[in-house]
Amino acid sequence: MATLPIQAAFRRDFVTLLVLVDDEDTIEVVAQKVAYHVIRRRLPPQDAPMRVQYNYRVLQPDQTVSQAGILPMSFVEVFYDA
Amino acid sequence: MPKLERSQWYDLNRDMNWNFKYVTEAEVFPDAMSHSHGIAPAAWWSWDEPYKISYREYVQNQAEKDTGVYSVRSAIARSRLFDNLDPGWKAAIIAHYGAIAMPEYLASIGEARMGRFGRAAAWRNMALYGTLDEIRHGQIQFFFPHELLKKEPRFDWAHKSHHTNEWGVIAIRHFFDDVFTSNDAVSTAIQLTFTVETGFTNLQFLGMAADAMETGDVEFGSLISSIQTDEARHAQQGEPTLRVLVQHGKKAEAQRLIDVAFWRSWRIFALLTGISMDYYTPLVHRRMSFKEFMLEWIVKQFTDQFRDLGLERPWYWDVFLQELDWLHHAFHLGVWFKRPTLWWNPDAGVSAAEREWLEAKYPGWHDRFATYWHTIAENVRRGNIGYTHQETLFVVCNMCQLPVCGTTVGAPPRQVTHNGRVYTFCSDPCKWIFAQNPARYAGHLSIIDRFLAGHIQPPDMTGVLAYMGLSSAEQGADATNYAWAFEQSQAAAKSGS
Repeated sequence: MATLPIQAAFRRDFVTLLVLVDDEDTIEVVAQKVAYHVIRRRLPPQDAPMRVQYNYRVLQPDQTVSQAGILPMSFVEVFYDA
Repeated sequence: MPKLERSQWYDLNRDMNWNFKYVTEAEVFPDAMSHSHGIAPAAWWSWDEPYKISYREYVQNQAEKDTGVYSVRSAIARSRLFDNLDPGWKAAIIAHYGAIAMPEYLASIGEARMGRFGRAAAWRNMALYGTLDEIRHGQIQFFFPHELLKKEPRFDWAHKSHHTNEWGVIAIRHFFDDVFTSNDAVSTAIQLTFTVETGFTNLQFLGMAADAMETGDVEFGSLISSIQTDEARHAQQGEPTLRVLVQHGKKAEAQRLIDVAFWRSWRIFALLTGISMDYYTPLVHRRMSFKEFMLEWIVKQFTDQFRDLGLERPWYWDVFLQELDWLHHAFHLGVWFKRPTLWWNPDAGVSAAEREWLEAKYPGWHDRFATYWHTIAENVRRGNIGYTHQETLFVVCNMCQLPVCGTTVGAPPRQVTHNGRVYTFCSDPCKWIFAQNPARYAGHLSIIDRFLAGHIQPPDMTGVLAYMGLSSAEQGADATNYAWAFEQSQAAAKSGS
């Protein structure tokens, strides 16, 4: 278990955020951690699953951060798969 | 009274240029301080300022200006003018003093460096007046807010801000250190006096003075007008310096210096002036939008001067024009969300009428930004104030030190690895500026770098606010206590929607 700072943006938001995740977090949890700072604050929630894109690739929700190869200060984008 | 006309003695009195016999040119004008670009000493002696003034005239003019502006201050001190100002305008002037008063004082260092290491006596003479100007601008912009402390304690940020690590101050300090506090004489003349002052602040001060008078803030208006007249004079050190460079085959270097300083000025200008003009200035007193102001004064007037000197618009001109439509709106949103990290109370500036104005001035504003403000207003009306704050840091650019904003489409931000360290940039020009001189910029730590390096303890928002020097009494809050959110609701009810 190690805390990892990443750069993250939620699609249609206006700014890149510093988000702290754990290397054993699943990608689904990463999406939730990013969404916490955006959804209901600036963007409305949607009835659709959230996905995470990293290095132009959409990650599997059950993968962990370390399995996905996400490094400190890597950039991920979260979006609703609507 | 002098017996001769000024034109009969001015050049002789001013031009104390000579060839050195007992010391070398390099000893008198070290390149680190002068940066002569290899141009022969005597070639610099053609430097000629367009605005002539003698010391006697300078002292008389300045004394008259001070008498005028301090008289206005004295008269207004007995009135309730400040109490009656719009909350948004109060935000604008409290932000202004904290952002600008100390840099004005520090600008005297850049002017003094030109006064000693400028390569022509005429230039050094002009820079002496510039040094005195900037000391005056610092002192007067400390005195005025000091006199308002009994009305608003956070006016002490005029002096305090630059001794803190507040995020906006880090950005302002990084910029001003680059262009004048830690700059050589030639680069200061081009980057501070030609680009920042001629291009941006001289024009900004004209606009701000007019806005202040329109808003009823006669005190601030007279102060800014008084400063602007000094700026208009000493800003003219840039053009003759540019002419010497261009005439001696250094056009590319001159262009690069302008391109760096123009972009850096734009970022800070968008943050401070963009928000003040389009969100803090009361709607009834807005004469033009920030974009209109930029197009008229910067894009047209200033760039005419580029062409007159045989220079080009910066290479990133299209990026700059695109950002005129959205950057300061994004900064405003971020600033408002991060209001506890400010020393002023930001005005959201998004009442129904203000939204209409924004959409009229920036077609597409509604589609791009109103969604955010709609969600925020809903949270306010439901009492979910916690959701109107940001519980994490915005990633900032390792050049301009401002939040990395934009509409993301999955592309990673611009990152560069230099000596094993990863640097993040908000834009191609910021990345380009870093690449021009990595050694100059590489050692600086952004607020994000400091957080990750453990400088901020505890590593949460409480620690961040303490690190920025903001006690609970100083932290910013919505300027109108969210009146705009409820006004939106009433307007919608009235229209039956």
